[in-house]
Amino acid sequence: MADEASTPHKRDSIKSSVGSVAAQKRREHAVTVGKERRESLIRTKRLCRVGVSSGDADMPVDDDMSMDEEQSVLEDQTLKAVEELKHAIGYQGKGATQKRVNALRELRRLLSKSEYPPVEAALKAGAMTILVQCLSFGSPDEQLLEAAWCLTNIAAGKPEETKALLPALPLLIAHLGEKSTTPVSEQCAWALGNVAGEGEELRNVLLSQGALLPLARMMLPNKGSTVRTAAWALSNLIKGPDPKPATDLIRVDGVLDSILRHLKKADEELATEVAWVVVYLTALSNNATSMLAKSDLPQILVDRLASSNSLQLLIPVLRSLGNLVAGDTYVTNIILIAGREITENAIQALAKCLRSEHRVLKKESAWVLSNIAAGSIEHKQLIHSSEAVPLLIRLLSTAPFDIKKEVAYVLGNLCVAANEGSERPKLIVDHLVSLVGRGCLGGFVDLVRSADIEAARLGLQFMELVLRGMPHSEGPKLVEAEDGIDAMERFQFHENEDLRNMANELVDKYFGEDYGLDS
Amino acid sequence: MEIEESGIGLLFPQWKPVRRRFDPDAPFFASGNIERELLAKQVALDLTEEEKQQLRDTEGGGSSEVFCPVVGCRGRLKSLEDFEDHYNARHMASCSICSRVYPTSRLLSIHVSESHDSFFQAKVARGYAMYECLVEGCGVKLKNYKNRQQHLVDKHKFPTAFEFFKKAKSSKKHRQKVQKKQGLHKTDDASTAMQVEEESIDNLVSAVSKLSTSDSPSAISFGRRHTRGLNFVPRAIQKERRPDISSGQ
Repeated sequence: MADEASTPHKRDSIKSSVGSVAAQKRREHAVTVGKERRESLIRTKRLCRVGVSSGDADMPVDDDMSMDEEQSVLEDQTLKAVEELKHAIGYQGKGATQKRVNALRELRRLLSKSEYPPVEAALKAGAMTILVQCLSFGSPDEQLLEAAWCLTNIAAGKPEETKALLPALPLLIAHLGEKSTTPVSEQCAWALGNVAGEGEELRNVLLSQGALLPLARMMLPNKGSTVRTAAWALSNLIKGPDPKPATDLIRVDGVLDSILRHLKKADEELATEVAWVVVYLTALSNNATSMLAKSDLPQILVDRLASSNSLQLLIPVLRSLGNLVAGDTYVTNIILIAGREITENAIQALAKCLRSEHRVLKKESAWVLSNIAAGSIEHKQLIHSSEAVPLLIRLLSTAPFDIKKEVAYVLGNLCVAANEGSERPKLIVDHLVSLVGRGCLGGFVDLVRSADIEAARLGLQFMELVLRGMPHSEGPKLVEAEDGIDAMERFQFHENEDLRNMANELVDKYFGEDYGLDS
Repeated sequence: MEIEESGIGLLFPQWKPVRRRFDPDAPFFASGNIERELLAKQVALDLTEEEKQQLRDTEGGGSSEVFCPVVGCRGRLKSLEDFEDHYNARHMASCSICSRVYPTSRLLSIHVSESHDSFFQAKVARGYAMYECLVEGCGVKLKNYKNRQQHLVDKHKFPTAFEFFKKAKSSKKHRQKVQKKQGLHKTDDASTAMQVEEESIDNLVSAVSKLSTSDSPSAISFGRRHTRGLNFVPRAIQKERRPDISSGQ
């Protein structure tokens, strides 16, 4: 009996180290802090550290991470501040306003400086009721500003903390109105943006309380940080999954016009936030997509995509363009048609993204190209003869997996034309020969080998094109040369039945018993 | 421009170009969303490049945990990139005698019994049903290779061209890859040497098998026409097989 010569399974040696308990504690702490930091980073909420009206010059931003000891000091101070505020509210005598504002300011400072503000402590001490009182109509601007700032930062953290703002919402919305000063309305918008970023439930509350219209109006002026904050808050408010807010937003008087204006002319920071609004409009609302497709937006997006070098701006611009192309045939059939300058520019700009070093740009631009390539034969010819193809072929072999998949979609779509009438798609032999000749087959065989079902499927489907469509029956030899047979054989013991059947069908049809026999 | 109509009667789902649309919260957009937040907060939170990369990798939805799709494996992989290594480590069980490669140790051991064990051949000659179905859990045993083959095709929809017996050595590409990796390992000298001499071993094995009395085609390589995965049955055996298909087990 032969011995099984399989790879020996390694076992980790059991580690033991001196002082491992302390080390363990340090590691645990690092993990929890890391986790909190990670969560705070990926939330769509934003902490406000520096005032909207550039007032406080004396505000030192605390860079150090709060360890446990400092945190408890912070919490004590917070308790004190809340108590102080309660007294100030009760006080009726001379200088009451100043007392209140000072107390608010102290609380606000505590809530703005460390990386993890003592929100829980503040809420436990009863800060919410007081802060709501501070928002009452007729209160002086400074008071409103500081109170809204405190609320902004309370809402910037954990879900239960954000939810605590429920009693304050109607007042915050009310102060968005045109009667408020800009800093106050901006700070309220910021707080509401954080609330909206929490989740669908709170979004619905805000929408039913009428937050959309005043925020939309704040986006209309030409410039100012308020416009930017309002746009950001709106992007959180309309992000769905319900498409109605998006549809409502585009219908507000002046919104479409201001979106176009900002995307065309504004500085990159403002354009970025507005672009994100467009991302959600085009991803969720068919109405909005249709309106935007017929406006100047496609041209503006292509121009920005081509001219900007700011990753922050390029991501939402690219995605908006992608959503338009994916969502409405008007864009591919009427605007981005072959022969027009805008189409050339679009493909050039997309190629620029493919060349970028940023993963997101490469992936999403390949996605957009794949959708254009799914269009007419003229579109395929246009892309096929563009600078995009050499980039795509290189990416197919070298890029990370998620990008490879999108590239595969582009290349495959270039080789097949959808047949409007009957079911059967038509093979474009010229493109297939050209792409295979440039060495893309190996990349597809790699996809066949991967553990990802979608990728393996794509790989097998492309292999079928090659096996069927290469002239002079060259297909099987080419596939064999790239170890395609080996890759297909792997499916024999693969748990996915569809893939097994697909691979089997190809093996039987093209590498059957007669394969290689020169008869 | 040459455009061809595709054939009819295929079950294979041919490539169809379609526009793909994604919801805003689809995993496809996750890495872009992460990037948005990272860029917006990097100054305030003083993020290092390292941290950013870590966040992209863990939250970015690029490649999250993957399960190995080989039947019965259930191996968990950290990312898709890890899959190839896992496959090479766990599913390339190779026979130390003839260096053929199989994806599971069970299949390897079946191969070893059927190809290299005279005791096995003796029992076959006496009429015992020794050829087990390759699908784990089926349990059926057949009296000869051809019948087992037919069982696989009929009951388990294996391709008619599938040849377990001929399940060949790992592809040239893979062998080269593995050889590079194993370059430093002394213990692998033997197998490397073996791989180099595989041609001669093959001829030896085929010569020996021609002497056997079993009616199953043993490891025949009929003068290697191509270096490829599937070896095929020579015409002499093919002619034999066709009329036999009806006499099933």
